[in-house]
Amino acid sequence: MAERPGIPTGFATLDRCLPGGGWPSQGLIELLTDHTGIGEVSLLMPALARLCGDEHHGGWLAWISPPHQPYAPALAARGIDVRRLLVVRAQPAEWAMEQALRSGACSAVLGWAPCRDRQSLRRLQLAAEQSRCLAVLFRRLRNGHEPSPAVLRVALEGTPGGLEARILKSRGGHATSVRLGWTSATSFSPAN
Amino acid sequence: MPGLSPSPAPASEPPMPRPAGSHATRAELWLAIHLPCYILESLHRAAESTADGGAPPVAVVDLERGARVIRACDATAAAAGIVAGMSLNSALALLPGLQVLARDARRERALLETVATSALDFTPRVSLDLPDGVLLEVRGSLRLFGGVRRLRARLQERLQSLGVEPCIALTPTPLASLWLARAGEQLALRRPDVLPGRLARLPLGCTRWSVRSLQSFATMGVRTVGDCLRLPRDGLARRFEPRMLLDLDRALGRAADPRAAFVPPARFAARRDLEPEIADAGRLGRALAPLLDELCGFLARRGRGIEALEIGLLHRDAPTTRLRLRFAEPVMQAGRIANLLQERLARIELPCPVRQLRLRSGPLVEVRESAADLFVQDRRDSAGVPQLVERLQARLGMDAVHGVSLVPEHRPESAWQKKNENGDAALFHDRKRAASPWLPFPDCPPRPLWLLAEPQLLEGGEAPCYQGPLEMEEDPERIESGWWDGRDVRRDYYVACTRGGMRLWIFRERRAGGRWFLHGVFG
Repeated sequence: MAERPGIPTGFATLDRCLPGGGWPSQGLIELLTDHTGIGEVSLLMPALARLCGDEHHGGWLAWISPPHQPYAPALAARGIDVRRLLVVRAQPAEWAMEQALRSGACSAVLGWAPCRDRQSLRRLQLAAEQSRCLAVLFRRLRNGHEPSPAVLRVALEGTPGGLEARILKSRGGHATSVRLGWTSATSFSPAN
Repeated sequence: MPGLSPSPAPASEPPMPRPAGSHATRAELWLAIHLPCYILESLHRAAESTADGGAPPVAVVDLERGARVIRACDATAAAAGIVAGMSLNSALALLPGLQVLARDARRERALLETVATSALDFTPRVSLDLPDGVLLEVRGSLRLFGGVRRLRARLQERLQSLGVEPCIALTPTPLASLWLARAGEQLALRRPDVLPGRLARLPLGCTRWSVRSLQSFATMGVRTVGDCLRLPRDGLARRFEPRMLLDLDRALGRAADPRAAFVPPARFAARRDLEPEIADAGRLGRALAPLLDELCGFLARRGRGIEALEIGLLHRDAPTTRLRLRFAEPVMQAGRIANLLQERLARIELPCPVRQLRLRSGPLVEVRESAADLFVQDRRDSAGVPQLVERLQARLGMDAVHGVSLVPEHRPESAWQKKNENGDAALFHDRKRAASPWLPFPDCPPRPLWLLAEPQLLEGGEAPCYQGPLEMEEDPERIESGWWDGRDVRRDYYVACTRGGMRLWIFRERRAGGRWFLHGVFG
């Protein structure tokens, strides 16, 4: 089966570590972190801005049960078309996320859900596999020890002046670690 | 020639001169639909839903002076000797297996309106003649339908598909058509001059004049319209209701007979009794299906859709359970409505069994054309967004889904807005896209991706802490604004880092005390 090319992450070092040259555009991506505010969403911003700008793929960006209110001025400043943002408060978030993935209307679905049972994780992976969109699930670091059907799992940890991304699992790729540093309050640069 | 008719009037006083001018314009042709069995037909659906297996004879009863009286019955019951006006007890004595239905004026009206709505497909000029008649002015439609005969056949077919057996007559005046149809004379007379001769044979009962007048006519030996026309005009006017003379003139086209145009209902409303009552919410979906079909037929005939639907579940011993569905865009497909309904039904809990279902639509609206994109296979299905939004809202509630928009405001908390707070999902349609995202203040310092709902007071006094001491960047951003609306802010914003690598957006109030607050997280 030919893998679809990835969505460039905007960080060359990270792209080199990912098999499709970017975030997988099919299948579930798990970002594992215990903190909000270490740059876990900034990491996705270049890819989201690219999806927004694409005339043909320009779908909606669904944010399912985010930890805080996504702040429109900041998103707009990073090239996101905020008119295409859909914020959903759902309990449980897994159901809403699956609906968003299956709707075929979104080009990216970001979900914050614990996914305690493997059943719901599998359903999300299946929906993400069929959906041709950037599907990102945020979970806790400790979930990294549990098995998961996700195609890409990255553990994120804040470091002074940057972010460390450890690739735990990557279908077609290999486990590795990338350090990204801040260039300003809002964007990273790869630190070598 | 004086008098109402060519026949000599045996009158002691000279008859009134004929009213000047003929009011029936040549251009008009009125088709009357009379529904002789409307009472029974209006309950047809209820009868069907209650009948298990073979259909028992049916009769409709009404309360009259405290007694239950048969108003209408079907052929089987009539063959057993049951007639309208008979008391229910006598009828049951004749036919113990008789199925008895209560008369429902609302349903009768609805039936007539359904007929009138279908009639609008034949001509724009339709009026109701309560309780059992519909009038169509069809002169302008004759050419389109290929003549009276074909138009009539098409109409007949259409009405039979609605489950009614009509009597149809056509003349140049509305009243003459109605009288003929009521008398069961299914004629088509196109010339006004043959009217007096044809109407003369009709029994007076078809005029629906008051019972008292008809009785006094009978004692005078006046039994047909023709007999009545031979009476002297002024005597008739003096001894009877003035309405009669007017009716006669109108029927013959000598007086104008303006008719109020029928305006089809702007909303759909229907109900269904459940027998037996339904206690399981899972079964309500199927019970609602016929009503939804009816609704979608109603919408399809008008080529319009609805954005809202209210479903009432009536209980015997509890207040009505109401479900309100809102659609993100106008819909007219039964499947889509049913899907959403299923989602809602899955969430409700019934206080007790449901005995009646009611459906009421919101106003009818234009359905947006959605052109299928054949050639761009990879394009996102934007049409899916409204459906996604309505599905999420149906399950999670109206407030659970929103969009965002920018507001040109310096106060951080006012620089954005929730879209769709009042459930106006139409906002999710906007497919127009500006060339570049619009930014009110392109040069302002970085903003955090997450904004806290309320600024959170930080511990630590002069040296604020959040999960340990904070490392602050230089160059605060000063925001002072809003003095005009009483929610003024005077703040210095800093970017601060925690030991764990979190980047925060904090501010210090520029007032006495100078407290520190956390307002955003850079994410």
